[in-house]
Amino acid sequence: MAHAWVAGKAAALDTAIAEAAKLLAASRHPLIAGLGTDVAGARAAIALAKRTGAVIDHMNSEALFRELDVMRSSGVMLTTPLEVRVRADTLLLAGPELGEMPELRQRLFEGPRQTGADIGVERRIFWLCPGRAVADPRFGGTTAEIIGKERSDLPALLATLRARIAGRPIGRARVSSSTLDRVAAALKAARFGVAIWSPAALDALTIEMLCGMVDDLNATTRFTGLSLCPADNAVGVLQTCGWTTGLPMRTGFGRGFPEHDPWLSDSRRLVESRETDCVVWISAYRAAAPEWREAPSTIALTGRDASFPVSPLVHIEVGRPGVDHPGVQHLPLTGTLTAIEATQPSDTISVAGAIARIASALPGVGERPC
Amino acid sequence: MLTRIAGGRVIDPANGRDGVGDVWMRDGTIIDPPQAARADVTYDAAGKIVMAGAIDIHSHIAGWNVNTARLLLPEYHAAAARRPTEMPLAKGGWSSFEIGCRYAAMGFTTVVEPAVSPHYALHAHLELADIPIIDKATLTVLGNDDYLLGLLQAKESDAAIEDYVAWTLSMSRALGVKVVNAGGAMAFKENIRAFSFDDLVPSYGLSSRRIVKALQHAVKALGVPHPLHVHCNNLGLAGNVETALATIAAAEGLPLHLAHLQFYGYGKEGERGFSSAAAPLAAAVNAAPSVTVDVGQVMFGPTVTISSDVLRQFNARDQARPKKWLILDGEANGAGIVPYDYRRNNFYNVVQWAVGLELFLLIADPWRVFFTTDHPNGAPFTTYPEIFALLMSRDLRAQWLAELPSAAVAMTTLPAIAREYSLVEIATMTRAAPAKLLGLTHRGHLAPGAVGDIAVYENDKDRAKMFRAAALVFKDGELVVRDGTITHCRWGRALTVEPERDRAVDRRMKAYYEGRYGLSDEFIKVPEHALGRPEPFERVPCVS
Repeated sequence: MAHAWVAGKAAALDTAIAEAAKLLAASRHPLIAGLGTDVAGARAAIALAKRTGAVIDHMNSEALFRELDVMRSSGVMLTTPLEVRVRADTLLLAGPELGEMPELRQRLFEGPRQTGADIGVERRIFWLCPGRAVADPRFGGTTAEIIGKERSDLPALLATLRARIAGRPIGRARVSSSTLDRVAAALKAARFGVAIWSPAALDALTIEMLCGMVDDLNATTRFTGLSLCPADNAVGVLQTCGWTTGLPMRTGFGRGFPEHDPWLSDSRRLVESRETDCVVWISAYRAAAPEWREAPSTIALTGRDASFPVSPLVHIEVGRPGVDHPGVQHLPLTGTLTAIEATQPSDTISVAGAIARIASALPGVGERPC
Repeated sequence: MLTRIAGGRVIDPANGRDGVGDVWMRDGTIIDPPQAARADVTYDAAGKIVMAGAIDIHSHIAGWNVNTARLLLPEYHAAAARRPTEMPLAKGGWSSFEIGCRYAAMGFTTVVEPAVSPHYALHAHLELADIPIIDKATLTVLGNDDYLLGLLQAKESDAAIEDYVAWTLSMSRALGVKVVNAGGAMAFKENIRAFSFDDLVPSYGLSSRRIVKALQHAVKALGVPHPLHVHCNNLGLAGNVETALATIAAAEGLPLHLAHLQFYGYGKEGERGFSSAAAPLAAAVNAAPSVTVDVGQVMFGPTVTISSDVLRQFNARDQARPKKWLILDGEANGAGIVPYDYRRNNFYNVVQWAVGLELFLLIADPWRVFFTTDHPNGAPFTTYPEIFALLMSRDLRAQWLAELPSAAVAMTTLPAIAREYSLVEIATMTRAAPAKLLGLTHRGHLAPGAVGDIAVYENDKDRAKMFRAAALVFKDGELVVRDGTITHCRWGRALTVEPERDRAVDRRMKAYYEGRYGLSDEFIKVPEHALGRPEPFERVPCVS
């Protein structure tokens, strides 16, 4: 069975690597996008970007940057998934897309709480604006109280709730003032409360409002926040970008040093404006295709059975971290970078391996020790 | 390969050497001058100063906290700063790669990241693995973790605590143990907002003192060379000298290291209720021979404070400059990232700057006071050359003092201090003493058998210039720096200890993690293969 293709036709891996190197060498403004890969893959991709003057971006940057934008322009209080499990007595779920990860849901909200301070305290869960398709509001033995409905009501609901927590008057709201006051009182009575949201479902201003409310609650009690990570190791890649370049993704190396600009280096914009003339698309956790319809020459490194709207010039099937090969990735359950073993080790090349081979096939200076 | 560094003034306080002579290396190791052999390479060091590579025992260079600070402050990156010269952190090197290069350029060859939460150990080691040239190590943070507090509350045996500490050191691949505001982070989770040495963590009924003493004894009993590394309670608060004095007294004649003591050198005198208490604090250190300290010197300019003292950082968040911050309630200590700008015209910041220098100059024994800025908390490590210059010249200090607000200077004893550090004392404080403190018998000196980590400096009267750019630096015998510029890049190792433990603790911890988190404890492991470098670790022996 083929693992590599050039112009849609099955090819030897060596041929695909050589073709990829040729495309990159000829490119004036390459883009390395998708970046759904483990830490080793991200390290290799960043090194390749430095070498070729490319821009790096991740397929889930949009959600990640909403979160980052709040963090780097205000104050945020956060906690870890494991602390939520063992210590939280009050959960405030904000917005949709929170009930859709069964494993996370089970581990975070339904696990045993063991910490001395919390024993005997019943857990309370409020869920603001879960959206129309309400996910199951039952979490273990606790049923979440749903307040508000439509996702679009969330910003106003949060604003009024925050006002009531601070004791400020509010005008007419969609939710009755007695309900708001009751929820505000419950949040203030929390011993270790946690607000939980998914940045994929909220805009930056709503996240900032929520984080501000969490800070306000700390005037008298303990409250903190948990943002659910976007998929495809987005946080792991973000962290890797951080220490290797000093900056997040959406960073370019075109001028010989890393420059971060979330607009300029947005992969979608670079493709649609035709600024980039060569895309390396990486999706090792699944076989995600880019969202753009027209693309320049593309070198795709993906999991099995990818289907593209525009077929890539070079396509190499890569192994999945934690299945085909061991690796390191950010685990949403632990909130940390974690080493994972291969569950079904195979010979399929890893992203890091494929990029290393492409890099060594590039003309010019070879791999330096650092 | 036989290398000769010829004719320099060799300053090697560990071996009582200070005089003109040669240093020879065979491959990566220092050797006696061979009888009748010719060197393959000879470096002329005539007129220059030859020292062992410097060792930094406390510098936040890697891990989740440091990396989150990077993400919080993209504008501190050199490429993003319009006027990079005004951004010390831009100069400070914001990526792992730059950290290694800039340390090496100053002649540093080993640096300790002092605050790694065990659950984040792999992350820290991944970053360390990407720091080139220098060797590294971590201290693992205990003392706010439910497991240890549970053991103490249940009055478990010393052996149970030692096994747990040994297990944590092994899992996190650390060189030593640090405690950060012992019990304070746990108390903060229970809505306590101020926490002193004898205050109790409510749910456990344990004092900070009890936790510190338990860890101090465990570290010593395990034979971990580096004594317990203590970040005291009440960091940064007026009058907190009392906390530091109480902690020093609690050492009770056993080894104890107090980190960034400058941040605990504050009295409550004067109109503003904030003054230097460096003199009594230094006197207490001088009188307690089992106690070592590092300073955590403040220098003026924008920086970011990165700390596992989540309670202190929470209380300091309103002072953030620029106004943004991040507080993490972690599994044990958590973290706080608060950017800050130490200003020359700020009364408090000037007192802080003076307190650091007073401690350096009033603590008599350079074997017990260590050179740090608590990078980047007091200042970025790139300010070290200026601090060496200040320590070595009373005149230079007088020039600085003349330009600082006199009301602040009046709250310190700095103008009256005449002491000037000699090159021998600098070499002791930055080479010989840290190697001894960390149990690194083959580092920090130039006797045969030592690792070929050597820094050669021009003997420039401008000491800042001299220490900013080493003339030559050798790492494991290889030339890596010439005239402050990297000439050769290589990867270093992380130093670890692995004290003996009763393996029953491994089963206990596995069961604990499965019960508490529904996860195997495997997730906190730091496997060698995950780091992507050949031989990423070097084991340092424990003492018996």
